[in-house]
Amino acid sequence: MAHYHPNHELLMQFAAGQLGDALGIMVACHLESCAECRQTSKHFEHLGGDILESLDSVDISPDFVSRTLAKITEAALVEVKLANVAEKSTKSVSQFPKPLQRFLPDSLDQLSWYGFSKNIQQFDLSFSDKRYTAKFYKIKAGKELPQHTHKGQEFTLVVDGAFSDEGGSYHKGDFILADPTIKHQPKAHADADCICFAVMDAPLQFTGFFGKMLNPFMR
Amino acid sequence: MANPEITCVTVIRLRDVTLTLVASETSYQMDDLILRIAETQDQKAFVELTVLAAPRLKAYAIRCGSHIDDAEELVQECLLTVWRKAHQFNPKTARSTTWLYTIIRNRRIDMGRKNKLDIVQSDDLWPEAESDLLEDDVVRDLTGNLVRTLLYSLPDEQRQIVFKVYFEGKSHSEIAGELDLPLGTIKSRLRLAMKKLDTLAKEQVSWLTIILIMNF
Repeated sequence: MAHYHPNHELLMQFAAGQLGDALGIMVACHLESCAECRQTSKHFEHLGGDILESLDSVDISPDFVSRTLAKITEAALVEVKLANVAEKSTKSVSQFPKPLQRFLPDSLDQLSWYGFSKNIQQFDLSFSDKRYTAKFYKIKAGKELPQHTHKGQEFTLVVDGAFSDEGGSYHKGDFILADPTIKHQPKAHADADCICFAVMDAPLQFTGFFGKMLNPFMR
Repeated sequence: MANPEITCVTVIRLRDVTLTLVASETSYQMDDLILRIAETQDQKAFVELTVLAAPRLKAYAIRCGSHIDDAEELVQECLLTVWRKAHQFNPKTARSTTWLYTIIRNRRIDMGRKNKLDIVQSDDLWPEAESDLLEDDVVRDLTGNLVRTLLYSLPDEQRQIVFKVYFEGKSHSEIAGELDLPLGTIKSRLRLAMKKLDTLAKEQVSWLTIILIMNF
């Protein structure tokens, strides 16, 4: 059970279908394991239905009904399934939440990790998101990231393992929002590597002495 | 903003508690039409549903930024999906308006994205069909009818912000910039709107619990 959740602003934007790709996927991953947020998001979908029904009607073209009816009577249409890309890559065993599976190999080991240290590695996800970049971070068991802050917003979802910082202790499924006012030093718990899915609108800013030296490499 | 035709009113009296269930006729009519499509691929029902639903679906498409010429294409995509997926509709777990809303929302996201492997599609965001609805949703859904009537009773300034989130995908800070108001004002207006909607929903849940216990 997750203890840290997306706020209502995000859940509402998600239900409105208005979150960017990277953040949308992250919220979807959290919902997969959090019944409470799933319920809240349904609540916002109902609100969407209410809003739809409250709109003033806009006239449709005179031939719209007949054109649409013609489409369903084309016998072929019944057989043709919409290209459902998600189905194509259904994985039997995957270590990742379902919304991410299509974009990743089956296991964490297969990701092409890179990084300047064995303790902290990363993997870039390439979503077509204009605003945010999406990454995976791997922090070795018991190791910590240099102290850093965030230029913009950063959202983190714990995918595996756990980590702690000054603000608390975070486990699988937890959804954490960090903004520029937060300066923290996440440390992976000692028993396992911690894997996080992170979405951010600006690169991390390391604040300590060694951290500052690392800044040019962490883009 | 016109109030939709609210015509079905059910009044239930439980000792000293009076519960009024209000639902719009349109919603019930659409439930019925979708079921007919599911059961017998009834084309007449499909035409009726199209006439009933298309004008508001088109309004949604335009409010979300569709060009006037593309709006009907999106509405058509939505209705064709309804035709194909009508069997997934369950009036016990979802209202037809909510179901239609999720369909047009998803089609809007997917327009122009078909067959692109690296781009997120609605199936990625909502991998489970509506079939994963829980018991709780039934309760939630019944309350939905009343939540709608409350939507109209929200002050314009609150409703305007809710609509900006749904149609324009604006974050709180973007709305603040646009309306030239402090971020705190936007957040508190939205909070007030949600509180009003939530209070009502909660009251309904407790009333419904009474009804269920009394075996109505």
